[in-house]
Amino acid sequence: MEEDPFDFESDALLASSPAVAPKKRKKVIGLDDLLVDHYKEKKRVVERESKLAKTKKTYNSDEEEEDGRVAKLSKYVDECHEKMTHLSDEDDVSIWGLQVFGNQKSPPSFVFTDLQTCSLFHSFLNHEVNSLVELNIESVETFFEGLLTNGWLLKLVCKCGQVEKPIATWTFHLMLYSSKEVLRSAAVDFWCAILSLKNKGDSPPLKIHWLPKYSELKNALETYGYLLISPTKDSCDADMDLGDSKYMGPPQNIRAWIKYVAACSQARNLHFIFSVSEAEELVVATICLFMDRQLLGLSVDLYECILSLINFFKDEEWTASCTKIAKAVALRIPLDINCLRAVECIPAVCLHAKQLRSTISFRILLGYFNKVEDEEEVTRQLTLINLKDKTCDLFRDYIYLVLTENWFLYNPVLKEKTLLNEMWGLFLRNCCCQINITDTRSYASKVRSKASYLLQVTGDTLL
Amino acid sequence: MGTTRRRGGDGGMEENTMAILDTSCFSKSTQHIADDRLSFLEAVRSGFLVPENAPAPTNKIYKEIFQILRVENSLYLIMSSYQLLLEFDKRFPQVYLSTVKKSESSSPSSLPFNELVVVEEAWSPFSFGTDVSPSEKEDHDKTSGSLDPIAFNLLIQDIIKVPDEANTEVQDTKPLRNMLLFQYLVSFLEGDFVTRNLSFKENSDWITLRESFLNMILVSRKIIYKGLIKDCLSAMCQLYQFSMDCSHDLRPQKTESTEVTEKCHTDLAIALPEVVKRTCVSVQKFLLMIIELDSSKKLADMEGWTTRADGVRTPAMEIIMDELTYDKDLLFPFFQALDKQPKLKLDMIVQYFQKYIPKTSVRTRRSSDSTSNSTFGGVLKSFSNGNNTKGIIKKMSTEVAQLLLAHAFQAYISLPSQDSSESKEDDNDDNSLPDVCNHMISAFTCLKKTDGRMVVLPFGKEALFTAAIMLSGNSGV
Repeated sequence: MEEDPFDFESDALLASSPAVAPKKRKKVIGLDDLLVDHYKEKKRVVERESKLAKTKKTYNSDEEEEDGRVAKLSKYVDECHEKMTHLSDEDDVSIWGLQVFGNQKSPPSFVFTDLQTCSLFHSFLNHEVNSLVELNIESVETFFEGLLTNGWLLKLVCKCGQVEKPIATWTFHLMLYSSKEVLRSAAVDFWCAILSLKNKGDSPPLKIHWLPKYSELKNALETYGYLLISPTKDSCDADMDLGDSKYMGPPQNIRAWIKYVAACSQARNLHFIFSVSEAEELVVATICLFMDRQLLGLSVDLYECILSLINFFKDEEWTASCTKIAKAVALRIPLDINCLRAVECIPAVCLHAKQLRSTISFRILLGYFNKVEDEEEVTRQLTLINLKDKTCDLFRDYIYLVLTENWFLYNPVLKEKTLLNEMWGLFLRNCCCQINITDTRSYASKVRSKASYLLQVTGDTLL
Repeated sequence: MGTTRRRGGDGGMEENTMAILDTSCFSKSTQHIADDRLSFLEAVRSGFLVPENAPAPTNKIYKEIFQILRVENSLYLIMSSYQLLLEFDKRFPQVYLSTVKKSESSSPSSLPFNELVVVEEAWSPFSFGTDVSPSEKEDHDKTSGSLDPIAFNLLIQDIIKVPDEANTEVQDTKPLRNMLLFQYLVSFLEGDFVTRNLSFKENSDWITLRESFLNMILVSRKIIYKGLIKDCLSAMCQLYQFSMDCSHDLRPQKTESTEVTEKCHTDLAIALPEVVKRTCVSVQKFLLMIIELDSSKKLADMEGWTTRADGVRTPAMEIIMDELTYDKDLLFPFFQALDKQPKLKLDMIVQYFQKYIPKTSVRTRRSSDSTSNSTFGGVLKSFSNGNNTKGIIKKMSTEVAQLLLAHAFQAYISLPSQDSSESKEDDNDDNSLPDVCNHMISAFTCLKKTDGRMVVLPFGKEALFTAAIMLSGNSGV
């Protein structure tokens, strides 16, 4: 029975069965006979049906075709839908966010007794008003906390024209390490105020007897659990010791840190707190803070901070510092969706910031292309990408698009370089034309619409 | 020039940026919508804020950004839209003063003056449509994207609940979003009102001030004006109390929650204290604006510029003073929370004291009693002898008197005129810093003498310490 029983066109079945049947019928009805009979019967039914169908077809052929097409269409729609949901699932994976903080360390110890040595306190002890206030050595800390939180302390130091060392160190410690919101927010307000206080008229400027060094800021960040101090140590190492969520950084004091850094950079002309190279490191650290989704709600403060830091630099210092910062950022940020965040977190509102945004974009692009160092070569590499190729990583192309956009948009010098602009235009057109609208690959539609948007917006300058 | 810049906004730009939101062809996941909204905001930013001479965004774009701020749940989007709206208002003000040299037109002798320019048909987050029935309201809200006065009042009532919501286990972005929305709205009202009020003071033009959004909200018949002021008071006190109390870490202690949810809780917890603090400052700003509007209106009333259409409204200051008088629990939370408006605070405390200081005592003291009575120095002098002091603390306890004096002193030394170390020349002698400090100390000494059992409260001690140091510092220099 090697013949296919359902192959009704086959002659073999028709030819052989009548010849075999009479011989065997004389004996016993075998299984084979039954089978053959069964086939015969079945064949008849099929023939009858096909005859019926033929007659029907003359009337209803349209309808039947329609049914088939509907079925086909719905099958395609289902398939597409499946692909789309699959696609969106894939895209969901790429959300930016880095583990910037690990476990907190215990804060440095601090001796409060120093506070008793300040002259502000001593001069009052024998004052006649002390009969009402009844201030003594034991109650000094609580009393000063009240002075600080209710804003008296600021007025007092302004009046006296000096911030004594015990007061400066005490408030600084509260600002960065106190677990009480009242104290840390009062302390940071105090520091921001004394740093920005300009001397008015003929009154002598406010003397701050102790100014924290850069190392204190850096230590504070490390105490909070900051992980990205050195580029070699990436977030993977950090996962090892992330056990106890109770000690996970950053603490609420991070807000004070951010505000304080902003105030320091704004006060460059009044007080020397950190050097140019230290400010560079702070810019890098601040960009890293932007990478932590836990700090999303502080973006207003972070923006203020990074802008103040960027404008800390004098114009003649900036070009060199900008490149150094960009290189450091490119080393620290992994080459994935996070690098877009690193670029987009820089508010492009002033010349320095625009330059930084452009330079960081370029540096990250360089990181993607091995052994490429100049602008022309990077852009040429972009034009060589074949987006039709099934193995082409469209997600990566999307990153290229955004990075190059930022690199070009915020660098006025590039506008004059016709060759670069032509190649950038070519890349954009490739992204538009080489990706079909029905392309279901991940990020295909994103690349396509981004490129066509950029072509529309920058069209007149490029073409 | 500004008008043409705004109206000149080219349609192509709008179409292109709006298209980013319209790429949906299949049912999209929320992540996709969020992604599109993000790229929309980023495109709007780079299109309208980055170029130096960019046109102002069209109303459609404004509406879309505002909508994101109102409905979005992702903190990232809320923050981005909030910041973008603030930056737009700074860059493209809807009302501004432009200096016009009058000499070009008619009189050659006149000085250049500031003319108020109001951008026509500009987008606003408020709508005052009267033809909307409550049943349609929900639809209306969704389509127009703007808030009517009722919605604004409801928002303030939501803010009162923030501290309670934040203390419960369930943490979502709604409280934070509401507070940021309120901050934006106040900043919008401020931009509109402050400019118009300035122009009113210079050009005596009541009509433009009447048309300010702030006035339109306050005169709206849809809301109960007194209720709005009371809501503001309780919002201010609640928020301030909350921001002072949250000494502990707000992040949830539970460890079993997955990484992602825990992170999104932490980001809310870290942002909350700061946002609460700023919202509290916004409420103060809002109240101050209403009080300034009241005083401008009083002036317009006296000059006869107002019409019957302007109606009669109880000044906010009166409502607040009444509230403080009848609700004693509100008194100190309110003055403690009112930390960013020293002048208002000092005025209020002086007014409050006036109710309790026996009138005769002040009259005998000076011939021109009105000036003496209405300054802080005058109030302090009422505490200079035993009889007067006794009379006052019969009506208010020594604790209240102490705290009010200390609060007034705190406001006094925070006045901008005190910062410049030279007291204003138009102040009378009672109000110079050394005098005020001396009188503070003697007032407390007198209180103590009158009531032997009196314990000086910590806040009073701090004030006395400050007064003493201020005096000695003064003599030392």
